[in-house]
Amino acid sequence: MTAGAPGLLAGLEPIKQKFLETGDGLEMVRQRSDAVDRAVAALFHEAFGEQAASGVALVAVGGYGRRQLFPCSDVDLLFLFERDSAAEAARDRIAKLLRGLWDGGVRASHSVRTPAEAASLAPDNVELNISLLDARYLAGDMAALARLFERLPGFYAREKQTLARGLDRLTRARHAKHGDTIYHLEPNVKEAPGGLRDFQVACWLSQLAHAEEAAANAVPPEARGFALSPPEQHLPAETRDAWMEAKRFLFALRCYLHCFNGRDNNILTFENQERLAERAGASPQDAAVWMRDYFRNVRVIHRLARRTLDEVATPEHSLFTMFRDRKSRLSNPDFAVARGMLYMRHPEALVQNPGLAMRLFEFIARHGVPPAPETERRIGGAAGNFREYLRKQCGASSGLWFSIASILRLPHAYQALVVMRETGLLAALFPEYERIDCLVVRDFYHRYTVDEHSLRTIKTLHELRAGSDDALTQHFSELMQETERPEVLLFALLFHDVGKGGWEGNHTTAGLALAEQAMERIGMPEPERETVRFLIAHHLDMPAIMTGRDLADPETARAFASQVGTLERLQSLTLMTYADISAVNPEALTPWRKDLLWQLYVATHNQLTREMEAERIGTGAAVAAQLASNYSERQALARFLEGLPTRYLRIHGPDQIRRHFQLKPVLERRSVAVQLGRRHSLYELVVLARDRAFLLASIAGTISSFAMNIVKAEAFSNRDGMILDTFIFADPNRTLELNPSEADRLTSTLEQVVLGKIDVRELLHKRRTPAATHRPRIARHIAFDNQTSPNETLFHVITEDRPGLLYDLASTFSFNRCDIDVVLIDTEGRKAIDVFYVRSKGRKLDDAAARRLCLKLERACSGSEE
Amino acid sequence: MKKIEAVIQPHKLEDVREALKEVGIDGMTISDVRGHGRQKGHREVYRGQEYTVDLLPKVKIEIVVPDSRLEETVKALGDAARTGKLGDGKIFISSIDDAIRIRNNDRGEGAL
Repeated sequence: MTAGAPGLLAGLEPIKQKFLETGDGLEMVRQRSDAVDRAVAALFHEAFGEQAASGVALVAVGGYGRRQLFPCSDVDLLFLFERDSAAEAARDRIAKLLRGLWDGGVRASHSVRTPAEAASLAPDNVELNISLLDARYLAGDMAALARLFERLPGFYAREKQTLARGLDRLTRARHAKHGDTIYHLEPNVKEAPGGLRDFQVACWLSQLAHAEEAAANAVPPEARGFALSPPEQHLPAETRDAWMEAKRFLFALRCYLHCFNGRDNNILTFENQERLAERAGASPQDAAVWMRDYFRNVRVIHRLARRTLDEVATPEHSLFTMFRDRKSRLSNPDFAVARGMLYMRHPEALVQNPGLAMRLFEFIARHGVPPAPETERRIGGAAGNFREYLRKQCGASSGLWFSIASILRLPHAYQALVVMRETGLLAALFPEYERIDCLVVRDFYHRYTVDEHSLRTIKTLHELRAGSDDALTQHFSELMQETERPEVLLFALLFHDVGKGGWEGNHTTAGLALAEQAMERIGMPEPERETVRFLIAHHLDMPAIMTGRDLADPETARAFASQVGTLERLQSLTLMTYADISAVNPEALTPWRKDLLWQLYVATHNQLTREMEAERIGTGAAVAAQLASNYSERQALARFLEGLPTRYLRIHGPDQIRRHFQLKPVLERRSVAVQLGRRHSLYELVVLARDRAFLLASIAGTISSFAMNIVKAEAFSNRDGMILDTFIFADPNRTLELNPSEADRLTSTLEQVVLGKIDVRELLHKRRTPAATHRPRIARHIAFDNQTSPNETLFHVITEDRPGLLYDLASTFSFNRCDIDVVLIDTEGRKAIDVFYVRSKGRKLDDAAARRLCLKLERACSGSEE
Repeated sequence: MKKIEAVIQPHKLEDVREALKEVGIDGMTISDVRGHGRQKGHREVYRGQEYTVDLLPKVKIEIVVPDSRLEETVKALGDAARTGKLGDGKIFISSIDDAIRIRNNDRGEGAL
């Protein structure tokens, strides 16, 4: 009998035609496998004949061994020789057989082994050992195969841990290669997480787990196929329908792809998505809707694979065990951590108290412990209760924003959000998210679905906060570390692309409307909402400017600065852009783009700082018209504002400006007005006074004499010679909190000092801490700048922060007969960043005088007295 | 055949593409590059501390054209990329021995 090329092909074509009619992929791969079996057996007999076939068996392994032969898959063959020498002699026969297959249009890959070789551990090639789980007799000497089948059950029982770990390692590496997510726009249906390979891994692991039983019931020598136990028998039964359905879906899908592409290409491209949507009875435009079917099925397989991997794969070395056990100490009355996974102590409580779910997510976001499959199932089951709970909770007083904010702030927020999405609770919390759930929006650059992209932006920023070795990245990292309320930025990122879900036209506008309703529901306070609105509305600005405008042109920074308005917003928008581009695909934020983004940030930052510091409010009429209710108040307010830096209007909202203005009558009555208030964990002190020499130094000194630590300060003066100073300080000893009377003493002491009735030096005398003896860890930098401002000399001081620093610096200026017009004090950890705008006798200092003053400031930083 | 390599300002890319399209040049290779010529990079002050930008982001365009099209292509490209300031970039021209279209083995100018 001859089975040449045409013979083989003739058998396969009708199978393909039948599949294209029925769409039954499971049936197709079986029939193809059977057809190839017949051809291979015939080719074997032709090549080896009766005699030469003694002592050699032809065995199908891998997918072919499972009788699952996809249209363009390789046919994996094992030539099993009882003796090595026979294998050598059979070279030409093997070549002849393989040629026959190639000519028949079937790609074969083969190996040649003895039973002893086949049943020994190949540490570098776990796949080879695993492929024998599916070994199946095709032709030749049955006795040779029986020799292998005698060894295999014992081998698997012995090596199952090693093999399971190997599979675990390979699977993790494969998942990592695909970004650890199923949500790809053009996924690989075989290799990506949740693909066919994952299903197979689940089957193999459950076979290995039951290897001992099989070893006990030795396989009869006449067996034609070897299987420890039917591979799917041990997979979780409660989700059986779901994963059987998913399996059917994926098998058909891969068959289609092979038929369409004519080769073993498993990427579900946009073009193929359209063809498949059309086949499913939808229009090609509905491909994105059809893709949701894909993700639904793949999600089932992904979960199945993770579950089996978690159960079977045990830790490899003791370090991991130690780490895991350390985590188990994280357990609390609600949650337990065991084997590195999170369990609920009272899962039934979820029904009564669905709010428990939020605490669980917070736990995950804090510790990064993945929930056990059981936990995930429980949460998913309580989604209905959770929805009901949220319905009752809605509104300003719900406190929902605070629980969401505390999750977003934590380092593993991405992990928590992923669990929320997988359990359906993200959609319960934000129904707006359903629109972008698994949404494929076609784009040449994007790699992930819209929801996955959005969640990844959050992951990016948390990773950024941890710091980076790369100098350029470290700049952004510092920006992130400085961000005071990252949760607002992170919330904006969560919603920046929500408008892509089923809306025509501009996704930014649609996203704003959706974010608005969500913010209302969770009771987000208004100032935060305003920031979110701004960030979403402008999230595409920086990428457009980076490549579309000349960054070296000062006009670019000027225009963008006027759009952004404040440094805080610039910082948030820069980070948002960083995260948004990074989450497009792993290569999207090239050093090239990062550089452009940083340059735009710096140019705009400098522009903002310059104009805010140097520009003065010429006429306060416009602002006064908005804030004041009647004519006389308008006049008074306009006068109050004139001469203050423009920055004042940018950093203070209408309410604050009104509060400051209300202090003016007090100032007129008593020549000083002091207001102390709390701001989050810090205190804010506002002082209005008539300007005089040493005033700033006196106020700073008084605050230091109460052992308070100034972290930010601004000193402005208006045209009338009124000074408006704002100090933000920390109270490290909690003096003000524990002794309410101290707050009054602080304000009254300040008033006395401002009025010149107490000498601040006496106050400080008792408190004065000796100058630091250790070498400062922060590199000191003191410089002046006579270019930026038309009327003042700028002094930049960067140095290690210490108590009384501002007092010493301000005194230095005053001793040298300099007037301080504007002061901006900022601290980052132990680093103080101070900028002084200074005049001497109403003019800028000349360069020589400024240089001398720099040296004196240097000494003041070291704590040596003037 | 000539190869034209042009290093230009990133924000000029769209203008250059438009201009090339007008003279009938559709095919080109574009890459993101960093470098500096006489423009050298510049110094920025951020928070009082100087930092130097050594390598500036630029865009490189590569086009291969028949000899007869060289001058008009270079003119279109140069005109579109010019702002008159330092850092506008450079255009390099070199000779190409042969070109082959991989799909069907077309050679020479026919492969362009």
